[in-house]
Amino acid sequence: MSNIYLITGATSDVGRTLIRRLLTGAPEGTLVLAQGCGDLDKLASLCQEFPGMVRPFDVDLSDPYKVDTFCQLLTQTCPAPTHFVHLPALPVINTKFKAFDEVRFAADMEIQVHSAVKLCKAILPAMTKARFGRLLFIQTSYTIGCPPKNTAAYVMAKSALGGLVKSLAVEYARFGVTVNCVAPSMMETHFLKDTPDLIVQAAAADNPMGRNATPEDVVPAMAFLLSEEARFITGVTLPVTGGSAIV
Amino acid sequence: MTEQAILEAVQEIFRDNFDDDTLVITRDTCADDIEDWDSLEQINLLTAIEKKFSIKFKLADVRNLKNVGDLLDLVGRMV
Repeated sequence: MSNIYLITGATSDVGRTLIRRLLTGAPEGTLVLAQGCGDLDKLASLCQEFPGMVRPFDVDLSDPYKVDTFCQLLTQTCPAPTHFVHLPALPVINTKFKAFDEVRFAADMEIQVHSAVKLCKAILPAMTKARFGRLLFIQTSYTIGCPPKNTAAYVMAKSALGGLVKSLAVEYARFGVTVNCVAPSMMETHFLKDTPDLIVQAAAADNPMGRNATPEDVVPAMAFLLSEEARFITGVTLPVTGGSAIV
Repeated sequence: MTEQAILEAVQEIFRDNFDDDTLVITRDTCADDIEDWDSLEQINLLTAIEKKFSIKFKLADVRNLKNVGDLLDLVGRMV
């Protein structure tokens, strides 16, 4: 059976690094169903590097109707995903609770949580039938222990994902489907474009390893949790933090 | 820009950041004087000051600030 990876948020720095990792040396028939939103050009080099192995989809996950259509498209026109990696999120905004942006929070919940629920409902039946599946989400080290101030929206959405992961892990374990998270500390990617440089520099200085994470630090942990070897690991949140957050 | 003008602008930032419209800062005000002034709030203050004065701090420059006076001197050198 070839691996069929559904990766949402695939155009992100982590998504592209992960795709390259998964497809390098992958057998014929391996396919990545890669969702992005208005930025599929970022997948162009991967499409050229791995001809026929990356199928891009332009879907606005903040729109529930478009997510419904995407789910129908997946189930009707694509081979059933064996692996699902859910990466999308709105960039973190460092904001005090008094300035909490409810509209933006609702959009982030659509993108991160509600879309995950819909997509899981769409793809889990086939995984259950196949007695194999890997679901992987990206959380944040902010959900481990005491979160930093001024990140309520981000921490709430990520915590909801954590709840989904634990619940699905228990419910689907008997079907050979594992459901896990990685929880990176601050990762230096385009995702930080709205985060002040001082916060990024301070996080690096305070990290026990003296720097922030990179996609190259996080993707190997993701690849492991997606692997056949990780079949007895489910419901976990794996910190990838350089020691800045320890369970 | 005079130090007084910088102080007044910085005081507004402190008042907004700490939700206290009556907060008065002086050159001697330091983290021990404001209960919520921790390392993260310090970063928030500094990023708000960066925005207000269109300047960019380096972490090394702001790590050893002891009080508002040090902060005003630093801003004064950059504007």
